[in-house]
Amino acid sequence: MKHSVNRPPTPDAAEDQGKEPTLQEIINIKLIESGEKERLMELLRERLIDCGWKDEMKAICRAYIKKKGRNNVTVDDLVHLITPKGRASVPDNVKADLLQRIRTFLMSAAL
Amino acid sequence: MCARNSLYTNPKPCKHLADYKLRHGFNGYDSLQNCLKITPNGRARVDKHNTKIPRCNFCNGSQGRLYICLICSAISCSSHILLHTQSEKGHEVAVDMERSELYCCLCRDQVYDPDFDKVVVSKQVKDLPGGSKSNGFEGGCDGSSKRKRLDSGIGLDLKKSKLLITMRDRRAKSCYPLGLRGLNNLGSTCFMNSVLQALLHAPPLRNYFLSDRHNSFQCRKKSGEKVCLLCDIDALYSAMFSGDRTPYSPAQFLYSWWQHSSNLASYEEQDAHEFFISVLDVIHEKESKMLNSRKDDGYCQCIAHRAFSGLLRSDVTCISCGFTSTTYDPCVDISLNLDTSILSPSDVANKPIKPDEKTGVSTLSGCLNLFTGAEKLGSDQKLHCQNCQELRDSSKQLSIRRLPLVLCLHIKRVEHSLVRKMSRKINQYLQFPFSLDMTPYLSSSITRNRFGNRIFAFEYENSDSCAEYEIFSVIAHSGMLESGHYVTYLRLKNQWYKCDDAWVSEVDEGIVRASQCYMLFYVQKPLFYKANEDTRCVRISPRRDPFSSTAGCSSNAK
Repeated sequence: MKHSVNRPPTPDAAEDQGKEPTLQEIINIKLIESGEKERLMELLRERLIDCGWKDEMKAICRAYIKKKGRNNVTVDDLVHLITPKGRASVPDNVKADLLQRIRTFLMSAAL
Repeated sequence: MCARNSLYTNPKPCKHLADYKLRHGFNGYDSLQNCLKITPNGRARVDKHNTKIPRCNFCNGSQGRLYICLICSAISCSSHILLHTQSEKGHEVAVDMERSELYCCLCRDQVYDPDFDKVVVSKQVKDLPGGSKSNGFEGGCDGSSKRKRLDSGIGLDLKKSKLLITMRDRRAKSCYPLGLRGLNNLGSTCFMNSVLQALLHAPPLRNYFLSDRHNSFQCRKKSGEKVCLLCDIDALYSAMFSGDRTPYSPAQFLYSWWQHSSNLASYEEQDAHEFFISVLDVIHEKESKMLNSRKDDGYCQCIAHRAFSGLLRSDVTCISCGFTSTTYDPCVDISLNLDTSILSPSDVANKPIKPDEKTGVSTLSGCLNLFTGAEKLGSDQKLHCQNCQELRDSSKQLSIRRLPLVLCLHIKRVEHSLVRKMSRKINQYLQFPFSLDMTPYLSSSITRNRFGNRIFAFEYENSDSCAEYEIFSVIAHSGMLESGHYVTYLRLKNQWYKCDDAWVSEVDEGIVRASQCYMLFYVQKPLFYKANEDTRCVRISPRRDPFSSTAGCSSNAK
């Protein structure tokens, strides 16, 4: 494609790659490559539905949309609205369960 | 007919999406389709390279929402997606990789295109096991292509009903609508009286019998049987709609019913719902004999089925591979479970609430959501998956394929304890609406949600059947399991009446809302408004001027 002619210089990714990947990044890569991350995401989705977290977030979004008007709200607005609330309201037992599973996975992956 | 539900009007594309489509057509969509990966539970993700982790071109990050440009396939995260549009002119539309949704970089918002959704859904259908035969696509399903129109109109038009010629009882409350009359309790028969009151005012049944569709004389001539429940029902209608307001004793009906259901013939308190099912059953049997048809499917033409029969759909999905097997079953009512985990405010007043306990009011929509929610079958209930060829964990989901004219909702208030070997009654209050929209519980809606709420016509949507209902009767139960009492509330011409055996009175709608509902009767909106147009038959009396006002009631010249 001709667009490559107009492309800006490659961004500073090269500089960043000089740094060592953090432990978090290594774990993330291992999870994705083995497919475990997808499984954990599915499990998390299920748990958050079962405990009513999804309904809570839906209700918050609905209330916001009602207040602002359907045509004045974007997806970005909603994400910014519920991200802090959502993170804060994940039940402890769900967090603990996921954490345990990640630990188990890491031990079996023999990092 | 009802307008299509406004929940599902397609959103208009933004200017940028429209421009994109004009310039690029379906090229971007089609090449994206090859990059879509479908998970067993139906989610569609954009995954070009199975092993490489997608990273933002600008910050190399892989967290958060990542978008892939439809034109140049460049990946950007949500913080840097705007930079991509700024550096590349015309690259305005991208796709959220995790969710397979269109995103307009300039509007900073999700946008929708039926053509895009079609591409995604086609891939989902192709990749999920079973192909187009399962997963909501009714290729050879019964009833979809040769959809028989239930002739709801023919024979159920009150205007064809014969004129009732009778003397008006001047002492009676003539302002009460037609058909309102008490029923005497013949010995713990409130279960029967309550159901009869509801059936008497179900618009299709009322119109059928008042139009003399079941003529007793002809019936006796044809079948020669002495006992015919339909004739007794016909007699009941005549008595109840005669204008006589003194309580009526349905002794003949009770006797006939005992003949048919000898196992239930006693003076013990029975279950109203059981009685309801048994009456419909008897009507069906009798009419099938007369009509000479033995159709046990949902298209039976007996009056019971024409009024109450609907079609339920059951989807059983294998959790491992996503293969779904679908079955259809006719039903004359829907039995709903109460969510006993919800504690009412009065329950929690004196107790500390545990963190994962829910408080609030149980609602009918909550019960319907429970009914149509995907239920994970326990690991002791593994089913054989045709695709995996072995026993697998499955999930089951019910939905309504076809709604009946009259919707009867039965609230299950009996809890059986296997441990204690006894049953007890659940007295939990249930909040219910007077107007009910059944659209979210239809198979088309449930299927649509399963595929990510795409703009796509999954099933042949019955455009001539209304999903909006109005309540016309409530059967409420009070007391304990063995020794309780049933009453019926009727809604006639927007006034509620309480029918407590022989005693009929006007009540405020607040009383009805506060009652402990056991059976709820809803009718499709058009039929409700038609039935309530004029519930007073014009009666011609040979001796009096029909337009003179009666004592205690002003005449409404319409």
